[in-house]
Amino acid sequence: MTTAFLILLLPLVSALAILLGVKRNPGASALVSVGSAGLCFLLALPLLGADNDAAGSFTWLAVGGLRLEIGLEVGGLARGMLLVVTLVGLLVHVFSMGYMRDDEAKARYFAGLSLFMFSMTGIVLADNLAMMFIFWELVGVSSYLLIGHWFQKNSAAEASKKAFLVNRIGDFGFMIGILLLWGSLGTVNFGEMAGRLSEGGYDATLMNWAMVCIFCGAVGKSAQVPLHVWLPDAMEGPTPVSALIHAATMVAAGVFMLAKMAFVIAVAPTAAGVVQHVGALTALLAALLATQQADIKKILAYSTLSQLGYMVMAVGFAGAQHGGAAVGEVAANSGFFHLYTHAFFKALLFLGSGAIIYACHHEQDIWKMGGLRRSMPATAATFLIGTAALAGLPPLSGFWSKDSVLALAWDNNPLLFAVGAFTAFLTAFYMTRLCVVVFFGEPRGGGARGAKEVAPVMLAPLYVLAAGAVVAGFPFAYGWFIGGGGAGIAHPHGGKALFLTILIGLALAGIAAGYLLYRDREEEPFPLKALADKLYIDEAYLVVVRVFQDAVAYVAKSVDQLLIDGLLVRGSARLAAGVGGLLRGMQVGNLQGYAFLFGLGVVFVIYIITTAVR
Amino acid sequence: MTLLLIIFLPIIAAAAIGLGAPARLAALLASGANLFLGLVVALVVALKGDGEMHFESARQLLDSPELTLGFGVDGISATLVLLTVIVTFCAVLVSPARVAGRGEGLYYISSLLIAAGALGAFCATDLFFFYAFHELALIPTFLMIGLHGHGRDRVATAWKITIYLGAGSLVLLAGLIALYASLSPAGGATFDIAKLTELAAGGEVEPGVQAWIFLVLLIGFGTLVSLFPFHSWAAPAYAAAPTPVAMLHAGVLKKFGLYGMMRVAFPMLPEGFREPLWAGGWTPEDILLVLLLGNILYVGLVTISQRYLDRMLGASSVMHMGYAFLGIACLNAAGWGGAVFMMFAHGISIALLFALCGALRGRLDTLEMSRLGGLGARVPVTATLFAFAAFASLGLPGFANFASEITIFFAAFEGALGGDAAGLGGLQVATVLALWGVVISAVYMLRAYRNIFQGELGGDRRPDEVSPLERGVAVLMIAVLLLTGFFPNLILNLVGPALGLPH
Amino acid sequence: MPSLNEYLMVSGLLFAIGLAGVLFRRNIIVIFMCLEIMLSAANLSLVAFSRFSGQGGLPDYDAQVLVFFVITVAAAEVAVGLAIIVALFRARRTVHVEDLTSMRG
Repeated sequence: MTTAFLILLLPLVSALAILLGVKRNPGASALVSVGSAGLCFLLALPLLGADNDAAGSFTWLAVGGLRLEIGLEVGGLARGMLLVVTLVGLLVHVFSMGYMRDDEAKARYFAGLSLFMFSMTGIVLADNLAMMFIFWELVGVSSYLLIGHWFQKNSAAEASKKAFLVNRIGDFGFMIGILLLWGSLGTVNFGEMAGRLSEGGYDATLMNWAMVCIFCGAVGKSAQVPLHVWLPDAMEGPTPVSALIHAATMVAAGVFMLAKMAFVIAVAPTAAGVVQHVGALTALLAALLATQQADIKKILAYSTLSQLGYMVMAVGFAGAQHGGAAVGEVAANSGFFHLYTHAFFKALLFLGSGAIIYACHHEQDIWKMGGLRRSMPATAATFLIGTAALAGLPPLSGFWSKDSVLALAWDNNPLLFAVGAFTAFLTAFYMTRLCVVVFFGEPRGGGARGAKEVAPVMLAPLYVLAAGAVVAGFPFAYGWFIGGGGAGIAHPHGGKALFLTILIGLALAGIAAGYLLYRDREEEPFPLKALADKLYIDEAYLVVVRVFQDAVAYVAKSVDQLLIDGLLVRGSARLAAGVGGLLRGMQVGNLQGYAFLFGLGVVFVIYIITTAVR
Repeated sequence: MTLLLIIFLPIIAAAAIGLGAPARLAALLASGANLFLGLVVALVVALKGDGEMHFESARQLLDSPELTLGFGVDGISATLVLLTVIVTFCAVLVSPARVAGRGEGLYYISSLLIAAGALGAFCATDLFFFYAFHELALIPTFLMIGLHGHGRDRVATAWKITIYLGAGSLVLLAGLIALYASLSPAGGATFDIAKLTELAAGGEVEPGVQAWIFLVLLIGFGTLVSLFPFHSWAAPAYAAAPTPVAMLHAGVLKKFGLYGMMRVAFPMLPEGFREPLWAGGWTPEDILLVLLLGNILYVGLVTISQRYLDRMLGASSVMHMGYAFLGIACLNAAGWGGAVFMMFAHGISIALLFALCGALRGRLDTLEMSRLGGLGARVPVTATLFAFAAFASLGLPGFANFASEITIFFAAFEGALGGDAAGLGGLQVATVLALWGVVISAVYMLRAYRNIFQGELGGDRRPDEVSPLERGVAVLMIAVLLLTGFFPNLILNLVGPALGLPH
Repeated sequence: MPSLNEYLMVSGLLFAIGLAGVLFRRNIIVIFMCLEIMLSAANLSLVAFSRFSGQGGLPDYDAQVLVFFVITVAAAEVAVGLAIIVALFRARRTVHVEDLTSMRG
């Protein structure tokens, strides 16, 4: 039993313990869950410096020529990701003890969190695609359970269902991709796959298709366009859940998976193009939508989408060539760099918003808040740090990682750089809008007027995350996460000064615009209905589902009833009845008639026998 | 001897009930003893792990044609025996202790007879008894739907399933006779499955003839498994059937057709599956791939549009049979192992769902899903159990259903694209399309769960929580699914050695 | 002494008369008597066969034993049959088969 296995199984044990008995005591349930998260974090720390990649494996399923393993590897990006997951996970657990104190289903909530930690750790440590897929599905279900925590609300029930289904659509593609790779390479183990690919002799077209299909999984899990619709709705869940699952870790799993698959992206240029463009499109679209939302969590959700788009775009450059060498690992590292800095500041922002929502008695509309910097100074300070990091102000972490992502585009694709830079401007703008409306001015609602600073148990995680958001971008910090000896991260080749000027200038411009436009406003000054209504994408999907699924389903059901049941079955029943009617005619009820038939039959039998004998 | 005991214990218990023994007690004793014996049988077969027949017993009844009352189990049949005894035990447990009208005796007798028929069919080493035992199990099914079923048109439904399955059995019989007739000229007339398989391996039957016989068997067995388009009996029949009968038929008896495909059709017609029916025409493989997609996609959509829980579950069980057929169509050890595993997993999970559906039916005035809602707040235990069952059914990792599905999917792609074999074959295309079924089953299961248990309360219903007994039964089945889902090799190591495949 | 053929001829005639009676008479008592005639025809041919297929000057007694069985059974059958006919007459007030068609499908 290696440490890695211990880290994987502890949360599962905790979830099972809560399910099987501890649930009768909600307080104990919380302690069990928090305890397991804390232990996991402590166990994960020494793994940072360890250099053993494989951490044990066993055969999970073997039949015929098929053998699927549950194997763990703690190498490369998995180390950093493990630390992100366990650290943010622990902080969110602690925060939840305050946030969910009075919830009547606290035990179920913590069981869900533990289940999530188990599944997420599984994704991080998986050494093969099949195992990753297993835990991929499991994070889906823990996300379903946690989004639907308040299932008595129709909106929460619908949101959880939607999240699961949209993810399943992505997984549909993911599975096809896995199967294509398995069919052509004969293995799903990351190391072995990379080995087979380096030997050459693979079908390039097939690799492109496989990678596009696998990317579908990331599109679903990381909520990229066009499967982004579930993430904003997922904000129906408790806010700590949003911070952990729908900002810092689970939604980043798609990016993590892509980073692990960078060796396939490197040999699949068409697929790489798809990845880059989908990422850039998501970044832009989500940033646009974020500028018009009124719900604090929805703004953060769209911001998450947008940042995930950055990361996906970065990993998509893994196939690009620069200076005669493939960018490969550098692109994956840059994407991952942004992933983990984002994990810090976005978890910070979400937990901060959770504190605000909690203090305002579950008010989420930013236009009913205001002036909170006076009543909640600590929360406001940490929230502003998070905002600055997200907006990309130097020297906070977001600045370094965003630079690294955009440097890839700067070198390889000017169009995508333009999109990314504009998105950076929008990011600074909408975050400033949020802060100005929430923290400045005067309180506009009852909740905001009565707001008080939250308890220390909720503030402590904010401080830790704020510290992380400040320092995570410095080279010494990312050395821990990415591994200092590796390929490092991307830096712009040439035009460095211009590059930095553009980015810093855009961030400052965005902040200035947000501040000037939204200072002392009582309501949205520039309502753009199309953006506020999410460009009607949800409605369009609803129509598609109605038409293509429900209508087809209805038609299928009718066909089933009419044709197959009516014609075939009733038809055969009628046929049987008809034959029966014919035979009935012979039952004349006349004794002598029967005797006559009987005589005929005897004659017939005698005839048969005599002819047969002869 | 052990096998004879397993098969005839339920029959003896049924007879005893008929003669006046206390029904529930006798049935519980018999099915409990069977559960134990079934576990022993599976354990022994797993430990031997050599792919041979075990626990063989034979009594020759006729010399020519050679007819033997013979039984034996290998890994495949042992898995299904295990499935049968588990589901039977659970079905007996959830049967009502008292039934108004014709009495509860019939309930237990029919459950036991269905179990005995299924066990006999799964263990028979003789083609004649293989067929006969299955027919034995069908009769109580018809009777129970007509006598104790639900709904106004239960008698009509009973007739429908009688005619439908009767016709299917008839087609099957015709196919079996054709098979028997085509094989017997080569050697002495016999009904022994092993000997017939040996004869078939001699390859004296024309491949073209094999293909046609295969097609007839496919239709015959397919009707019994509700292969599209012979599926429309299933949903109404399961909706109308009393809970234990629905559990036993959907969970166990339906697997007979799949088992027959693996035991009879493929080994005895080794070239029939991939032989064109006419020059340059379709092969039975093509036809099967199209039909199983009909099961998964078409019936899947039909399932989505069901309004009543019981009908939806019935239709969903039809849909999942498509995956089992897909596994069989892979024609490699992994695919067949996955298919047997799927039969096991689906058998337990659908029985679990029907048990819970039965529990809900007794406590609610309607099973129309859109009129319910929010019951999770009223009956949290029921909701939790149902959630487990629904997640198992939609193929969540951790449950046996997922492990079996993923085995089948991987099997379909095993070595398919490597080396020279570039490009997708028919099987791979079918698998890719079948994967969409995973989305479909998530849609209807989550919709059902959301409509029944989540959201705001629909109407002022205050149903009781499930009884401790029902809860125990459900937990038992969930535990089996989780155990085999976490450790799929428990089942696959049992099945694996027995997968001697044609080709 | 007549040959086997002549016995069989008579037996056949008797059987035909009986069959014709069964098929074409309406009175159920007559039909019943005709049945008895058919039985007698069968008995006659049995005895004839017995006589002519013997070996070593002895007849084949198997057939004669069978005839005794037939006669015994026929006696019992007549008793039952007549009782049924009486019961039928009491119930229906008729012994004509054309009036007894409640078995019509």
